[in-house]
Amino acid sequence: MWQTAALDPRTKLILVLTFSSLAVFIKNVYILFILLVVTLVAVRAIGGDLWSIFRKLQRFITIFVAIIVIQSIFTAHGHVILQIAQIRLLTDIGLLRGVQTILRFFIVIAAAVIMTTANPRDIIQGLIQWKIPYELAFMVTIAIRFLPLLQEEAKDTLTALQLRGVNLKKIPIFKRLKTYSYLLMPLLVSVLMKSRDLSVAMEMRAFRAFPQRTSLRELHFRRADYYVMLLSILFFLMLLFTAIKIS
Amino acid sequence: MISFQDVSFRYPRSKWLFKQLNLEIKQNLITFIAGPNGGGKTTLGKLMAGILKPEVGTVLVNGLNTKDVELAEIGAKVGYLFQEPERQIFAATVRDEIGFVLELHEIKQAEITAKVDAVLKQFQLEHLANLSPLKLSRGEKQRLAIAAIMVNQPRFFILDEPTTGLDQERKEILSSVIERLQDEGIGMVIISHDQYFMQRHAQQIITVVGGEIVDVANCST
Repeated sequence: MWQTAALDPRTKLILVLTFSSLAVFIKNVYILFILLVVTLVAVRAIGGDLWSIFRKLQRFITIFVAIIVIQSIFTAHGHVILQIAQIRLLTDIGLLRGVQTILRFFIVIAAAVIMTTANPRDIIQGLIQWKIPYELAFMVTIAIRFLPLLQEEAKDTLTALQLRGVNLKKIPIFKRLKTYSYLLMPLLVSVLMKSRDLSVAMEMRAFRAFPQRTSLRELHFRRADYYVMLLSILFFLMLLFTAIKIS
Repeated sequence: MISFQDVSFRYPRSKWLFKQLNLEIKQNLITFIAGPNGGGKTTLGKLMAGILKPEVGTVLVNGLNTKDVELAEIGAKVGYLFQEPERQIFAATVRDEIGFVLELHEIKQAEITAKVDAVLKQFQLEHLANLSPLKLSRGEKQRLAIAAIMVNQPRFFILDEPTTGLDQERKEILSSVIERLQDEGIGMVIISHDQYFMQRHAQQIITVVGGEIVDVANCST
């Protein structure tokens, strides 16, 4: 197993791009499944938390079922597996497209977990060494850094609303939509307050004080990075070629 | 009112914070939870409100097991004031903030107006009724958060570090709110470090250190 620290964040970024772009291009369910297995093996090898992927996916089970049903209802052809009155609730084509979407979702989430094993400061440094402007690299990293925090806050806000005696399950659907709008208010306030505090803190540390920025820490590719990048490019081409051939 | 029966709790992938905890919080008292940072005070408060569920044992709120009921059901009986009041402010104006939950419960508009007006008066927020909650000071936001909870007429309150960031004058206003709530027969658990505030209001002090209750003291105010 490679040690997390051993791989350059740019190598990890290439892996993420390889897996997620293949997930978008490929339609064949079997190849998508192979891609998922390879992605999971890569996540495990790099030291990512596989359980966190499964925990994240658990929350989307209802959406997955809804995707299969919606695909079945709105796809005109295919053999009906389950039908109620005149509504085709489940067809083989709907099921296939639903599974395709679920696998894609699974792969993208799993690939994203690879980046969680990289140090945010190293990600910025990696992007800068790829000649991406520092401001842009910094923004990307801040976004990645704050996403889990926002998720946590959204959960707390929902808890606070429920503690006001609001049971979302018992509210009629139209009122429920209005209730969700109430959830946005504290989240928006929190985001604005955080960004204001962050901008002040950045100014205080002389962010962009000089046009040229040097860095004490420089990233260097190691042999393992070159092997992984070469393997991922070969894997990308091989899977893409196979997918084109099959279709 | 709130009882812990052999409660054990730990956060995911962490060691046990509470082990076989037994505790009774009485309705008619103001109970303070004191102790050093990281000792489990806020976790204890969250277990009382049903925000966190015990891994082992039961927490009963008015006889309801927090594991078996929806958070909203507990929320209708127990008010919880978060350390940061911004977290529990949802609406665009002070008036809406107090009334929107009643609207969701499909109470008649005339009744909502009457209730909101009464609560605004009770918490001296009438002059701020049409302002955005974002424009209020920290003390005012806190009073608004308590007022918004009060409209549900809970019989119990849990306040997490309510004096944080308040100057002496604001603490006095908060004290008068607490005294008024007590006069109405509302029980309270207050999580606080504030010695002065504790001495002034505490009728019972529970000291929590490292997940253990090291002392339960009854005091006269």
